[in-house]
Amino acid sequence: MMNSTTAPDSSKLSPITSAFVLAAAVAVLFNTALAWAKDGYAPLNNFMKSLTGHPWTTHGLADLLLVGALGFIFVKTGVAERMDPHRLIAILVASVVIAGLGLLLWYTFV
Amino acid sequence: MNISPSDVLLLAHATFGAGGCLAALWVFVETLNASPDNARRIRSGAAVTAICMAAAWICGGYWYVQFYPAEKVLILGGPWPFAHNLFMETKEHLFFITAILAFLLPIATREKIYSNAAASKLVLSLTAMILITGLTVEGAGAIIDHGVKLALLRGSSR
Repeated sequence: MMNSTTAPDSSKLSPITSAFVLAAAVAVLFNTALAWAKDGYAPLNNFMKSLTGHPWTTHGLADLLLVGALGFIFVKTGVAERMDPHRLIAILVASVVIAGLGLLLWYTFV
Repeated sequence: MNISPSDVLLLAHATFGAGGCLAALWVFVETLNASPDNARRIRSGAAVTAICMAAAWICGGYWYVQFYPAEKVLILGGPWPFAHNLFMETKEHLFFITAILAFLLPIATREKIYSNAAASKLVLSLTAMILITGLTVEGAGAIIDHGVKLALLRGSSR
């Protein structure tokens, strides 16, 4: 897969990359959970609407804030850095698959 | 020609989304052939991906909040209500996942991808997921558009 003249000499991610990969994995799952919650609980939807004028706008801003805040926290605590990078990538991929299917199934059947 | 700001925003949204997907594909291919020579191109492609997805978010978000409610009424009264209930509802939330991954890509490409197997795997995974979710969102947009078209056609044939 990789250029044969440049064989891998390292298999670790930097503390910042590790932190934001884990933050993204959590945020992706949070995104689906919040979609379920605001769709199933009207007061939450109304509250989110009251914050920015539209629940979707609030939803997007909440996702971005969460990624930023968690990324910062994970950099400071070193939680993600201590994890095996390949496991971290697997967690991110699994989160995206679960979150994507979660949205599709929710809006198909609920 | 009568092109309204709503039309411009909607088409810009779809174009930036497609541009972001193409840029992610560019980064994927460059990463398969990663070397010190193309490290800068990989970072440029990652930046283009993130910028395009941010622009798609801003254009599409403004259009969705300001102009979509009228189209939603049309879709729900037309023959394809699922264009909103399933496809728009899924698309508007799936897009956030695409955007989060796109914003993570420039961070991931700061690594030495040509000499780091984990970084290479991360960038390949990210770009593949951006492509899959991004193209799904694009396809859902086409179905939503068709839902509006069918509603208008049915209305005009009455």
